[in-house]
Amino acid sequence: MKKSLMLIASLLLVCSMLFAGGAAETKATTVTAPAVSYEVTEPITIEWWHALEQQYWPLVEEIVGDFNKSNDLITVEAKYVGNYATVNETLVAAHAAGTGLPALSVANTPYVAEYGKGGLCEDLNPYIKATNYDIDDFGEGMIVASSYEGKQVTLPFLISTQVMYYNKTMADAEGITIPAKITDMEAFLEKATKKAADGSTSRWATIVPGWDQWYFETFFLNSGVKIINKDGMTTDLGDKASVDLTSLFQSWVKKGYTYWASGTSASSTMRQNFIDQKSFSVIHTSSLYNTYKNLVKDFEVGMAWLPGGATKKSEIGGSVLLIPAKNDQATKNAAWVFLQYLCGKDVNMKWADGTGYMPTRNSVLTTQEGKDFLTRKPAFKAVFDNLDEINPRIQHAGWNQLATIWKSYLDQIMIEGSDVETQLSFMAEEINEVLADSE
Amino acid sequence: MKPLLSRKNTTQFKDFATVLPALFFLGLFVYYPVVQVVRISFTNWNLINDNYKYVGLKNWIWLFEGSGTKYLLNSLKVTALYTMGELLVTIVGGMLFALIFNRISKSFSFMRALVFLPKYVAMSSAAVVFIWILNTDNGILNYFISKLGGEKINWLGDKNRALLSILMLTGWRTIGYGMMIYIASMRGISKNYYEAASIDGANSWTQFTKITLPILSPTTLFLFVTTFISAMKVFQSVDVLTSGGPYRSTEVIVYMIYKYAMVDFRMDRASTVAVLFFIILLVITAATMKVSNRSVNYDV
Repeated sequence: MKKSLMLIASLLLVCSMLFAGGAAETKATTVTAPAVSYEVTEPITIEWWHALEQQYWPLVEEIVGDFNKSNDLITVEAKYVGNYATVNETLVAAHAAGTGLPALSVANTPYVAEYGKGGLCEDLNPYIKATNYDIDDFGEGMIVASSYEGKQVTLPFLISTQVMYYNKTMADAEGITIPAKITDMEAFLEKATKKAADGSTSRWATIVPGWDQWYFETFFLNSGVKIINKDGMTTDLGDKASVDLTSLFQSWVKKGYTYWASGTSASSTMRQNFIDQKSFSVIHTSSLYNTYKNLVKDFEVGMAWLPGGATKKSEIGGSVLLIPAKNDQATKNAAWVFLQYLCGKDVNMKWADGTGYMPTRNSVLTTQEGKDFLTRKPAFKAVFDNLDEINPRIQHAGWNQLATIWKSYLDQIMIEGSDVETQLSFMAEEINEVLADSE
Repeated sequence: MKPLLSRKNTTQFKDFATVLPALFFLGLFVYYPVVQVVRISFTNWNLINDNYKYVGLKNWIWLFEGSGTKYLLNSLKVTALYTMGELLVTIVGGMLFALIFNRISKSFSFMRALVFLPKYVAMSSAAVVFIWILNTDNGILNYFISKLGGEKINWLGDKNRALLSILMLTGWRTIGYGMMIYIASMRGISKNYYEAASIDGANSWTQFTKITLPILSPTTLFLFVTTFISAMKVFQSVDVLTSGGPYRSTEVIVYMIYKYAMVDFRMDRASTVAVLFFIILLVITAATMKVSNRSVNYDV
């Protein structure tokens, strides 16, 4: 028996030594790289991974079909991979394996920093330079949001921001105005909430999405919370400003003005509550404007900028496009051609019209085309009036870990009614450890 | 001339050569990944980055002395509760259903098929359906509860009920499986035992506890071990129904591993938890087998 165990142990040891290569530390080399050509010279078929759901597939087919017709050498196959989280998992797994990568992929905006740091995305600067691509036509915030440490590792694709959808018909009938400041929220919430005879809430004033910190982090940023301090290794989420705001949200939940939407079906339940007029308003992404508009039959949907504090900033959401760095040069070149097409001004307008996403080009946003867009989608005035307030997201390699911890603690505070100061203090300690470890 | 290998050695060599391809694939797809996971647990690999460093016991210290400890203990507790629940449903529920449906007639065959059918439904599909059944505001379960005058229940959003909700799905899928395994074994028990017991004046309960249960003990052990291992590794239902929430109340250990690897990209921490989980499973399975050798009746 002992001999057998020794034999197995020895085999395992030998195996580990034989296969221990894996992803070992890379060593710096001084070999001069040959000049790279960015031309597409041979026919090639490439794959594009996207996260546009079924209702957008006709639009995807139309846009990709137009490209395939107009391009002799490149054939693009669009592939719906799943939501942003699924795209992320699939892409990261393919990158780690070094195989099965798409030529081009979408990615949710918060992943830019981690992908950039890890070397998942190709640096697009040489491509931009080689093809004289006009990058200045994108808004400045969008360029910052899609780059990492000065490298343009992605380009803005389908961009959205946080907004409040409200029942305009109800607002007009009941004289409810959407607050511009967080300090005005209490009065608004009280007025827009309806209570049943037994004291339970029959209509919420609004619903706060707790399943994704992107929706509530803007309230914190506008209240002076930095979330990640300048040192990049600590958080101020346990400090007074954060405690005060969290306590305010908790009090609104306790009073029945709002509920904290978390869990796997929280998004669809929240949407349904709004459609069924069980909630006066909801905080959601501007990209869902078309969805809300199409689903709501009994009232007019309004869109408002989120209430601000000392500032009224919002953050970029949606997706960027990236070329995986591990692909061969021919695939990268073809992907770059297709990427330019997808982000082009005309195609960008098609996306903006066909989905709820925003135009990304200055040449659209600030010109007659932008005005024409607003006549087709007047609710977007709230966003167009605040274009300068849309900012890049916080970029940190430990951001996803921070977000997971933050969401979990806020869930507990809002749903369980736990003590805010104590919980945020524990949370800050945990986040500090994660941030320090990710630097 | 003397042959290179003796007759005995030649036979052994042939035997070894026969199993060599299987050993190769077993080594490649089972043991090699295990060795790699152990190795990664001593690095700071974050999945996206190809570069990493060996960091000694840093991840293990995080798991046993750092912020990982409370999440590990929570996941172990949740996994243990879930496993007990699934064992209860599969073994006790399966046995009860087997006693009820163990009749030879067309109507009972049909009913058995109905009970067993959910096993064929993919877990992910079933979980999506259960999300809507259990939805607080629009779910059919709460609809019926309201009709009966009850309060709406937050099945998936309440930390005290979320695990129970997952077990409802599990029970729906696995109770029929337990039933079928028990029925197959029950039909192998000779009727002579029951006839002899009846002549001796044993009632139904005595017959069940003194004949049926002991004879079924190898089947129970089989169900226990297979259910135990599969329950410890539960993932899909948790992923689809609750994603480990609300606030980690359904975060079983495999989901914890998945979250560190694929959401936080912390392959190093995920591997550390995975290695520990592997050891836990190994020890518990070995202990179960040892105990079963003493207490399971294989004589009939």
